[in-house]
Amino acid sequence: MAEQSNYGRGPDEEEEEEEDIDESGYKSSKDAVLFAIDVSKSMLTRPESSDSRNPDAALCPTVAALKCAYALMQQRIISNPNDMMGILLFGTEKSKFQEGDEETGRGGLQYPHCYLLTDLDVPAAADVKHLRNMVEDEEEASELLQASDEEVSMANVLFCANQIFTTKAPNFSSRRLFLVTDNDYPHASNRDARNSAAVRAKDLYDLGVTIELFPISHPDRGYTFDRSKFYNDIVYSATPADPDAPAPLSADIKPANASAKDGISLLQALLSSVASRAAPQRALFSNIPFEIGPGLKIGIKGFILIKRQAPKRTKYVYLPPDSAKAQLAVLNTTMLAEDTARSVEKEEVRKAYKFGGETVSFNEEEMGKIRNFGDPVLRMIGFKPMSQLPLWANLKHNTFVYPSEEDYVGSTRVFSALHQKLLKSEKFGLAWFIPRRNAVPILAAVYPGAEERNEEGEQVMPPGLWVKPLPFADDIREPPETNPIKAPDEVIDKMRVIVQQLQLPKAVYDPHKYPNPTLQWFYKILQALALEEDLPEKAEDKTVPRHRQIHKRAGQYVVDFGQTLDEHFRKWQKDSGRDVHPTANGGAKRSKPTANGVAKKVKQEDGDDDGPTEEDMRSAYEKDALSKFTVANLKSFLQSKGMSATGKKADLVDAVTRFFETKMEVD
Amino acid sequence: MAGKEATVYIVDCGRTMGESGEGRTQSNLGWALDYVWDKITSTVATGRKTTLAGVVGLRTDGTENDMADEAEYQHITVFQDLSQILMPQLRKLRNELVVSSTDAGDAISALVVAVQMIAKTCKKLQYARNIVLVTDARAPMDASDLSDITAKINEDNIELLILGVDFNDPEYGVKEQEKEDIKQENEDVFRSLCDDCKNATFGTLVQAIDELGIPRTKNTRPVHSYKGHLTLGNPEEYETALSINVERYPKIMQAKPPTASKFVMRGDMSASQVTQPSSATLSNGNGAGDEGLAAVKNARTYQVEDENAPGGKKEVESDELSKGYEYGRTAVHISESDRNVTTYETTPSLDIIGFVDKSKYERYLEMDRSCLIIASRNDDQASMALSALIHALFELDSYAVARLVAKENSQPRILLLAPNIEPDFECLYDTELPFAEDIRSYKFPPLDRVVTVSGKTLKVHRNLPNDELQYAMSEYVDRMDLSTFGKDDEGNETEYAPMDETYSPMLHRINQVIKHRAIHPNTDPPEPYEILTRYSQPPAELVKQSQRSLDRVIKAADVKRVPPKARGKRFGRKGREEKPLSDLDVGALLASDPKRKTKRIDPKNAIPEFKQVFSSAADIEAIQDACKQLKNITFDWIRHSVGDSGYGKAVEAIRVMREELVDFEEPGIFNDFLKELKGKILKEELSGDRKDMWLQLRRSKVTLIHNKEVDESQFTEDEAKAFMVPK
Repeated sequence: MAEQSNYGRGPDEEEEEEEDIDESGYKSSKDAVLFAIDVSKSMLTRPESSDSRNPDAALCPTVAALKCAYALMQQRIISNPNDMMGILLFGTEKSKFQEGDEETGRGGLQYPHCYLLTDLDVPAAADVKHLRNMVEDEEEASELLQASDEEVSMANVLFCANQIFTTKAPNFSSRRLFLVTDNDYPHASNRDARNSAAVRAKDLYDLGVTIELFPISHPDRGYTFDRSKFYNDIVYSATPADPDAPAPLSADIKPANASAKDGISLLQALLSSVASRAAPQRALFSNIPFEIGPGLKIGIKGFILIKRQAPKRTKYVYLPPDSAKAQLAVLNTTMLAEDTARSVEKEEVRKAYKFGGETVSFNEEEMGKIRNFGDPVLRMIGFKPMSQLPLWANLKHNTFVYPSEEDYVGSTRVFSALHQKLLKSEKFGLAWFIPRRNAVPILAAVYPGAEERNEEGEQVMPPGLWVKPLPFADDIREPPETNPIKAPDEVIDKMRVIVQQLQLPKAVYDPHKYPNPTLQWFYKILQALALEEDLPEKAEDKTVPRHRQIHKRAGQYVVDFGQTLDEHFRKWQKDSGRDVHPTANGGAKRSKPTANGVAKKVKQEDGDDDGPTEEDMRSAYEKDALSKFTVANLKSFLQSKGMSATGKKADLVDAVTRFFETKMEVD
Repeated sequence: MAGKEATVYIVDCGRTMGESGEGRTQSNLGWALDYVWDKITSTVATGRKTTLAGVVGLRTDGTENDMADEAEYQHITVFQDLSQILMPQLRKLRNELVVSSTDAGDAISALVVAVQMIAKTCKKLQYARNIVLVTDARAPMDASDLSDITAKINEDNIELLILGVDFNDPEYGVKEQEKEDIKQENEDVFRSLCDDCKNATFGTLVQAIDELGIPRTKNTRPVHSYKGHLTLGNPEEYETALSINVERYPKIMQAKPPTASKFVMRGDMSASQVTQPSSATLSNGNGAGDEGLAAVKNARTYQVEDENAPGGKKEVESDELSKGYEYGRTAVHISESDRNVTTYETTPSLDIIGFVDKSKYERYLEMDRSCLIIASRNDDQASMALSALIHALFELDSYAVARLVAKENSQPRILLLAPNIEPDFECLYDTELPFAEDIRSYKFPPLDRVVTVSGKTLKVHRNLPNDELQYAMSEYVDRMDLSTFGKDDEGNETEYAPMDETYSPMLHRINQVIKHRAIHPNTDPPEPYEILTRYSQPPAELVKQSQRSLDRVIKAADVKRVPPKARGKRFGRKGREEKPLSDLDVGALLASDPKRKTKRIDPKNAIPEFKQVFSSAADIEAIQDACKQLKNITFDWIRHSVGDSGYGKAVEAIRVMREELVDFEEPGIFNDFLKELKGKILKEELSGDRKDMWLQLRRSKVTLIHNKEVDESQFTEDEAKAFMVPK
């Protein structure tokens, strides 16, 4: 059997731990989102009291929704590259719908006033471009964005969505219809039409499609969207038939206002509303027992809320000789026996360990027994104060855990009691954790996280327990030998002032303020290449510290610190008789009183010879005489700049030249 | 640290080693070998060419050593010269280290032989030199030249370990009943020998065996992951910037268990042999009687879509391909010359962004294994400067946040820097923090209150703990406190299960069984070491102490297990259907819908209508009819599928049918259907080759319904799985 894999990988990686495979399986549970955007006359009306300084505020609701869809499409290409997205306009004068072969050409008649702008699929560059033209070029948009005089049948809209999901994303685990409208009472005078819509909504529900409603109000016209008129017949809740059931949090979101009275434009409101529902909640593990004590089990689910997003791997593409359009090559891996090169079925493969130049093997049953440390469980061993969880005790990202009533009724209240107790007493639980069958058992710290909401009252971090995999003795490395010199109190006092001056806002790190510069750059370039646009010049990097501010707020204190440090250091050298290196050449600290802005050179690795200084290098560079230096000199210079120092002498000279070239630009 | 090592094991094989001492069932030699094999196989497992081992048999029937001509050196056999030990040597040793029929052989002479072996191989080179002697000390020894031997051992810097079978060790609480006089004498000789050596240990074997159960951790030489400046402000731009020379080293690095490689039976093996489970030690060469395994390698082929090719795909050679990326479903080609444009250029730096409060910091932000940052070694002023930062952070209960670029053009990371102060060691521990893109905003309802659909906030609700449950839980958590439950060496209260006393269960388990199998190819793997599963349960004593609190929690919690069968659906669910938020009776609407009254399933709306029939079905006929209709629809989809265009729909329909029939406990209908489908696909009755359809079904983990899911099924789980093999 051929195993399909998406990327070309090194030969060793097939021996990956099962752990990793499981997590990639988790990622590949795919999501399909279809936007259904209302194009009625009122959706096409710009808000009256629009603020001229904020062009976004002057958008009509339909265009704002399209912009929002455009933003989501771009974002999902980055964050969920395998997920599908589509856009369906309804209430348009024009009609367009592609169906399976049977109905070619007749689609438009079947779903009048439904216009499939972007078919449900993994977006292609052309889709992005098309959508961007729609939102940026008013003419192109106005041609299509014409409201029909006849009322569109909601039953038809929903069935149209049904057909799109059925054909395009038949077995996606998550399928969602994002419905954007300002009409809370369609078919106001036609009960039958409303009933047919309710039936079609039930079809969608049975198909496994969730409807997420994005209702729009118009406070400037005194209109507030009322869900109870129609949409509560269309939308299903996860826990039905219980008026006391906890409301799904998405219900928290207020209807977006078309006019920007409160300074938040409709677009912003929509964006944040969509963003909060953009990622479907995918459980990492479901319903493993959480054993709080012997005989006390409850149900939990695990989620990954924080995980490193990496840029994509390169793929192989094929450029057909007769066209410029690159095609993605799909890798097929077949296992071959090394001796006869015959192909091997998965069932024939057996695992063996290399040992002493040969192999040691176990049959499947033995292996199963060896790897089996019991059934999946999160089992509390006992509790410790948070102070016994040192900061360095971290292996990888932490998993979020929330109770589930599916297997054990009453799980939530027990979980809540434990959560509140751990928060209050600042304790964590030590747990034996086997997340899946035959997974590697680990010890983990189970600690509480409080709910966090922002100023608008929207939840930014959910309440729950976090599972932190703890390192074993085998994973803890010894530090290298050091001879620390404790700073005298006077020096520490000077440093304290600096630390106090440079607190981050609210003294917390807010990840939302720091986009990953590498990732942003990568996708900017990729998008430009895909859409055949000019490459951007320079990336914005919000992770670079604000040096000007640091200079202004703490500069004087740093100089102060430097002087105090120098004094005490000289004194210490005298006292301890360790007058080794004069600071003139390669001081540790460069709060330098020297002029001319050139950083002092860095100390040579061993201080063994008087290698050329940066000034020497620079003047040689200016005279184009870098090659007079020895390879060793060039290498050590490059290394001191943290640049790679490999290759022949010519390469090294090039590298040094490049270094000064870029440096000049900065200066 | 991977320095060179040479170890000679002297194993007493004398007749008396065949006895079983102190009520053990195992022979003394077998017991001693448990220790020796563990040590030798650990060496083998390292795979290092520079870690040498040699084995000398003492009191062997034969004689084989460099001084075999001399009378004192009789009954001493060098079984293995110092060299790297591999499987063939292990097999040989396994056969040689057996109980002899002699009492003769001088342990002191064996020591001399071992010293000679080391001198011959290691010369004056940098080796760690070890001799391990395991004996029952029941043979006469000539202790006259002991001082010469001690001098030589000390001169060569040899570490000596003498382990005795049932030697007395009051400290470890071992005293042999009825010890022979000669043994007592010899024990005294060995003890004084060890006292005279610079670097020698005298111990009783039982202690060494006990300690085998405590895994050893590997020491790795620290390698820095960043070396450069820690800056505050920009020294290139401002004179007020601060810069400290620092180095960054890993603090945590996960030790992974060895990974198994893929093998397959050699091509020339007959089929019957293939199916036999192997539990033998396998050799890759022409090992004696061992089964032959061939390594499995991966062959890669690349395909691109091509409308003209059969099956819509054509193969392309890898040299026709170039590198690119995927943007959505568009392939983006990046020419060789543009390769670097996607690289975000950076220069190495560790630059402080600002400072945060320790009390407001959330631990779940930690993303990756921790590292530590120290001042550049040999740079005293940097050391003092960094110390000032560490102490300032500590005194202010603050952490620093910094941007790290470890190497040229590597990705910037955000680090949290936390102060650590020990008497002789100061550093900053760091851990990576997330970027905006790394956070997924999932939302979950609050846990301390309930906001209902109707908008009320409740403090009393079945999902919230009542006061009794809160109180009981609080008491239970406090009683199950581990912070002082452990005992240190002096018996003082200390933390239970501190991280440096916990060992990776899988890592040591796999190593344990590999080592065991290498020596004992035909026995079952041993039980895991106790310490590997010690922390899988709460300590029994603590549980006993806390039982009353726990009982109270259990009572107040009143948790009820949902019986697995409760999900089973039966007929007559009319009116109990899922309803929308408004409680509208959709069931009634469906029932009155003229199109659905006929119970004809519309292929365009097949899955919803199929499900709706199930939820309103009054009898088995309705179910059977719906399944028959869906079956025919599915066959049609497959038959009319262009390429694989209709397979997705079909797989989903089959999956839904299975799910519903499992719930309805009607496995037969589904299993018959799946058999029919398989038959049609194998016979190519659905217009051509539809094997890919079956493959997709198999990949979606759709199988026959088996008797673990529904009792009535006539198939076991394995049979259900095996059925999916297309033949």
